[in-house]
Amino acid sequence: MPANKDGDGGWKSFLWNSEKKEFLGRTGCSWLKIFIFYVIFYGCLAGIFIGTIQAMLLTLSNYKPTYQDRVAPPGLSHTPRSEKAEISYSLSDEDTYRFLTKAMKELLEPYSEEKQTDENQFEDCGENPAIYKNRGELESDMGKRKACRFKKSWLGACSGEDPHFGFKDGKPCILVKLNRIVNFRPKAPANTSLPVNLQGKVQANLIPIHCSSKKEEDAGKIGEIKYHGMGSGFPLQYYPYYGKLLHPQYLQPLVAVQFVNITQNTDLRIECKVYGENIDYSEKDRYQGRFDLKLYVKS
Amino acid sequence: MTKSDSYEMFVEMDNVDGDVKIKKKKKMKKKEKLESMKKEMDIDDHEITLEELEMRYSTSITKGLSSTFAQEVLERDGPNELKPPKGTPEYVKFARQLAGGLQCLMWVAAVICFIAFGIEISKGEISGYDDLYLAITLIAVVVVTGCFGYYQEFKSTNIIASFKNLVPQQALVIRDGQKNQINANLLVVGDLVEIKGGDRVPADIRVITSQGCKVDNSSLTGESEPQTRSPECTHESPLETRNIAFFSTTCLEGVATGVIINTGDRTIIGRIASLASGVGNEKTPIAIEIEHFVDIIAGLAIFFGFTFFVVAMFIGYAFLEAMIFFMAIVVAYVPEGLLATVTVCLSLTAKRLARKNCVVKNLEAVETLGSTSVICSDKTGTLTQNRMTVAHLWFDNMIHAADTTEDQSGQSFDQSSETWRALGRVASLCNRAVFKPNQETVPIPKLSIHELEDPLDLRYLLVMKGAPERILERCSTILIKGQELPLDEQWKEAFQTAYMDLGGLGERVLGFCHIYLNEKEFPRGYTFDTDEMNFTTSGLCFAGLISMIDPPRATVPDAVMKCRTAGIRVVMVTGDHPITARAIAANVGIISEGSETVEDIATRLRIPVEQVKKSDARACVINGGQLKDMTSDELDDALRNHPEMVFARTSPQQKLIIVESCQRLGSIVAVTGDGVNDSPALKKADIGIAMGIAGSDAAKNAADMILLDDNFASIVTGVEQGRLIFDNLKKSIAYTLTKNIPELTPYLIYITVSVPLPLGCITILFIELATDIFPSVSLAYEKAESDIMHLKPRNPRRDRLVNEALAVYSYFQIGAIQSFAGFTDYFTAMAQEGWFPLLCVGLRSQWEDVRLQDLQDSYGQEWTYSQRLYQEYTCYTVFFVSIEVCQIADVLIRKTRRLSAFQQGFFRNKVLVSAIVFQLCLGNLLCYCPGMPNIFNFMPIRVQWWFVPLPYGILIFVYDEIRKLAVRRHPGSWWDQELYY
Repeated sequence: MPANKDGDGGWKSFLWNSEKKEFLGRTGCSWLKIFIFYVIFYGCLAGIFIGTIQAMLLTLSNYKPTYQDRVAPPGLSHTPRSEKAEISYSLSDEDTYRFLTKAMKELLEPYSEEKQTDENQFEDCGENPAIYKNRGELESDMGKRKACRFKKSWLGACSGEDPHFGFKDGKPCILVKLNRIVNFRPKAPANTSLPVNLQGKVQANLIPIHCSSKKEEDAGKIGEIKYHGMGSGFPLQYYPYYGKLLHPQYLQPLVAVQFVNITQNTDLRIECKVYGENIDYSEKDRYQGRFDLKLYVKS
Repeated sequence: MTKSDSYEMFVEMDNVDGDVKIKKKKKMKKKEKLESMKKEMDIDDHEITLEELEMRYSTSITKGLSSTFAQEVLERDGPNELKPPKGTPEYVKFARQLAGGLQCLMWVAAVICFIAFGIEISKGEISGYDDLYLAITLIAVVVVTGCFGYYQEFKSTNIIASFKNLVPQQALVIRDGQKNQINANLLVVGDLVEIKGGDRVPADIRVITSQGCKVDNSSLTGESEPQTRSPECTHESPLETRNIAFFSTTCLEGVATGVIINTGDRTIIGRIASLASGVGNEKTPIAIEIEHFVDIIAGLAIFFGFTFFVVAMFIGYAFLEAMIFFMAIVVAYVPEGLLATVTVCLSLTAKRLARKNCVVKNLEAVETLGSTSVICSDKTGTLTQNRMTVAHLWFDNMIHAADTTEDQSGQSFDQSSETWRALGRVASLCNRAVFKPNQETVPIPKLSIHELEDPLDLRYLLVMKGAPERILERCSTILIKGQELPLDEQWKEAFQTAYMDLGGLGERVLGFCHIYLNEKEFPRGYTFDTDEMNFTTSGLCFAGLISMIDPPRATVPDAVMKCRTAGIRVVMVTGDHPITARAIAANVGIISEGSETVEDIATRLRIPVEQVKKSDARACVINGGQLKDMTSDELDDALRNHPEMVFARTSPQQKLIIVESCQRLGSIVAVTGDGVNDSPALKKADIGIAMGIAGSDAAKNAADMILLDDNFASIVTGVEQGRLIFDNLKKSIAYTLTKNIPELTPYLIYITVSVPLPLGCITILFIELATDIFPSVSLAYEKAESDIMHLKPRNPRRDRLVNEALAVYSYFQIGAIQSFAGFTDYFTAMAQEGWFPLLCVGLRSQWEDVRLQDLQDSYGQEWTYSQRLYQEYTCYTVFFVSIEVCQIADVLIRKTRRLSAFQQGFFRNKVLVSAIVFQLCLGNLLCYCPGMPNIFNFMPIRVQWWFVPLPYGILIFVYDEIRKLAVRRHPGSWWDQELYY
């Protein structure tokens, strides 16, 4: 046992005691012994640790998450992302929105026609919302699954033909997607649970999206909102998602929300919500099934 | 009894003290104080004539002071009472509780939290109130533990306050020629007071008149015998002379009047008391230990924090982030609950002791007793009963031993002899006993004449007691077996032998004789005149000798024996005479049977004292006079060479010097005492133990511990408890320290490998302050592993509370296993929710990006920020549960350090079992109580995640059993040296 260090001799002799040939209170031999002990000790521990982790990983499926209680119900995310829940830009200055449109272009890249040509990976799922497209069980050995094509053109004015996505003209677009969740089948809403102005307009096999002003007094200032995309919502034939490995080319349906007549130079708080029987909202998570953002367009 | 080696108490003690102090050349202030005390000591009030005395104090020895003048003097000198020692102001005490080493670190951490929060606000991005919560929690922790400590301290001070005698003492004073009963604190110098048997002397008094006045000076000098007070000056030393009665001593019998010469703090007692308060309080060994290790912890925390601060800056984190890392590491590494645990453990022991009548004033003193290696015990009132009791009788030419136990439970001698009846009658008549009303008695000193009870016998009985040789001179016959035999040379020799024998036992011997007066010469109604001695006082019949001693308390010899087996040296330090001291020492076992002093060897071998090898003598009796001439080195030598020491005739200062000398030799010294003369030594000692019943207030004030039942044997219990708590504190601390590693590693991995944070600060605080407190306290209830009373006291320099082996074993072995358990569970929880271990690495910046609402996991699923946050909380909880499960294994292994847990028994410590149950319940409550996720970041986790760390818990248990087995099997081996803490 290395002797008590503080009491006798002080730090210097503790660091190197030339008399006993001790470094930090131990001789070389003693250091070697303790070093070997700890090498063995930690070697064993690390072995046990890696072993357990490996064993645990063996119990996991590559395709099916063990639990999804934290990730479902899905979040609703939008591109471009907001900075502190706010998107603001100036019409006159392209620099203020170039990075916004760039993010949208990046998002839309896999959606271009030429990338969806491979018939082995893509298939047409119709132009209208339809029922879920089952592609077998997750765990079955059917290999990779085909993905439904999603035509950029469905996004209309926000499809990227206008490289500024309407930002330049004061008609900004926002691309909205429902977060991917493996094997999640969103259910179309019952008619009664919808807000008044959506009731009756909703098609079958579609998760509708609706944006409105968060504050009542701003209602008039937002102006008309256009929803581009198949059926102005998220059609069900794009679900379920089979996960990264089985569904590498999966294109999730997008909806472009365009504010065609937005009041400029005002902070506008907008809330977008998707509706579905198994889509929930949470007080704490402002991106679960809905999002809100502040939009500020400077003339 | 040699009154010849009379002590010039203060003169000598100041010399010695002065010498020592000059050598030390430190504490100048104290020296000056002592110096000034010395000057004041030169009082001559006892030597001057009464007229001079009257002049000096402008008083009259018949009429006393005038009321108005007394009032003036009172205003000048202040009231006649001892000033209570200056206490620390309450707010300072409280502030001290908030400013310890660890507390300061927590303050720093809290401030960093506030700064971080402030910066976030000023930037306008409030990602959460976590920093604010954390800061508030940290402050709350410091304040609450501070309040707790303060409360403990406050409670123990209160115990002492209750000892103070609140009833004001009354004194009979003569002012303006009139007797008045006034409060003693209104007395002033020059006042004429009257004292009678039973009174406490209200101030230092020059005796003017006295009628058989005797005082008990035992609390001042340690002499059990009553001391006569009379108007004559008998000695130049104020302490030796008979014409001064001292403040706070008790007048046992007789009446006296006197002039007050000193009041309040200027009295002898007052000076000793102020000497006691001048002696600095020694830090208790446990306080030193705790300080030692808190310093190490604080140093390491700062070292770790700073290292990773630099690492973080180097990796490229922002300054603010790096600061928060620093703060988090400090929070993770500092054992927040430790000080509270230590306090609770100590107070539990204090409570246990209080039940056994040991009240502890200073909690830390509980442990001090356990590490005590020397007990310096006062004799009178501590080892002895402080009452003169008949120990031996000599009659019929035989020495009979009397029963000296407190409750008369011992064996008595044969009481059938006629002589005993006569002797008993003489003894009881020559007494202060109260007689039947119509019994005419003529008291003359030590002689009285009585009518006989038998109405037919008209003779008077004259009885007499006194110094044996004086009594023998007056005798011509001796009573043997009820027969009066002529006192010839043979009997005289027998008498001499018996007298010497009894005297040699350190006992006070009295002779008794009687005579039946001739009824013709002294008929009924004869007027006896003691002045003219108109009756027979010679040719009496010698009845016997009675010797008396202040006998040891019944429990003491056994307790001393136990102390010895426990490796504790008991040294007697008394103000009493050497012979008496030695006799008692031999009686109680401080000087064991067969041990000889240098003088004994000299007599046995018939060689001069100088030729005796000092190392041959086990025992040694040193009196104050010799001590005065010894240098401190010589004293150290004496203490080193003779295991059995008795110091007699010592002054308060000398007691102090003896204690200091023991401390110089590296001992932890306990001092027991009851008198005022012990109080400086009590204060100086590592632990002062005062007697609760017999003890003076001064002694109680100076002591750290009070024995309510005055039972010396309680000290043995105290030692046992103290040793046990030291062992158990070690276990408790080892348990508490262990979890700091699994708390720290998540941060280190988080910073270096950038995984999502596995364990949050608030969760750490919950482990530290909620779930783990109870088990760590429950270790205080653990039974001793071996017979701790047969071990030597710990060496304070070598046997540290927290030694390297303990820290290394806790940190790098058990703590490491716990960390692995935590990470296993963490990666399991992450992987099962979709985040595989390899993906986690380097994920941090994306994971914590508030804007990122669609971060993909290993399955391609997209997570919003809040979803990720709740997943992070799940990880916190899972890590928390892992630490809990491992800590249960930890508390089980900490039950013993050497024995197998199976040998110790799992369920013998009921408190520990319930603590584990409590810990589990609390853990479940935190996990599954609704609302927890958003308040304290606990998530309801899946049941199987509780079981993931279980194998590691079993590993900890098995590994420790193997360690203990190896330690037991191969003592002294490398394994034992490295892994036994």
